[in-house]
Amino acid sequence: MTAPLVTPEVDTGEQVSFDRPWKVICWDDPVNLMSYVTFVFRKVFGFSKEKAHRLMMQVHTEGRAVVSSGNREKAELDVFRLHEHGLWATLERDD
Amino acid sequence: MLRRRFKWKSGRVVVEIPPDEQEMLRHVLPQLREMLMADDDPALRRLAPPARPDDEEAEHEYRDMVGDDLLRTRLEAIELVENGIEGASLDEDQVGAWMQSLNALRLILGERLDIDMIGNEALTDLDPDDDRAPVLALFEWIGWLLEQLVEAAMNEFDD
Repeated sequence: MTAPLVTPEVDTGEQVSFDRPWKVICWDDPVNLMSYVTFVFRKVFGFSKEKAHRLMMQVHTEGRAVVSSGNREKAELDVFRLHEHGLWATLERDD
Repeated sequence: MLRRRFKWKSGRVVVEIPPDEQEMLRHVLPQLREMLMADDDPALRRLAPPARPDDEEAEHEYRDMVGDDLLRTRLEAIELVENGIEGASLDEDQVGAWMQSLNALRLILGERLDIDMIGNEALTDLDPDDDRAPVLALFEWIGWLLEQLVEAAMNEFDD
């Protein structure tokens, strides 16, 4: 009898995502109020007033800012929470 | 006399909206609900932007995972606001529902206006006969409410 040769299926994408962190980008948009964006950053991420304000200003002046990072699941949840609040957010691999 | 519609009091945000403005909210919130449920208006893209614009397959996976969670929380938030229009004392989660709903209204109205013109002279000088003039008035009023709500809710934080 010969044992069947089993080729383990390795999802390399998931392995990569485990090792390499993901980042969440918040993009500038002309509608959202600056005070509201700062508030949402504080509420969703627990940032200090200063950090939330600095990131909001970075979004406003540079068009985008990295607002969080972590594994893929965390990044997806953060994007979801920002979308719930009407902010324009995306996630991407942190290369 | 102009007074605040949202006040911080004993760890909660108290809602006090005059009757004419209550009517306005009762008029616009069901429209937002219908729009969300019909799900065929391009302006809705602003409320559910792509999470993975760089990768179509990943975007599909993300949408499958999120499912209708985004829609469900929005509809629940709208209902909570409707139940508190005549007056309410909001905890932190309820404040979030009000903020999300007011902001969603504002984003949709912003899409109706030419968003690139917001903050632009051309829009502030809009002719009252322009079709967009009432939309702009509504947009500005919702923004005014949202600013007050944010200001009151800031007290949630320790610093």
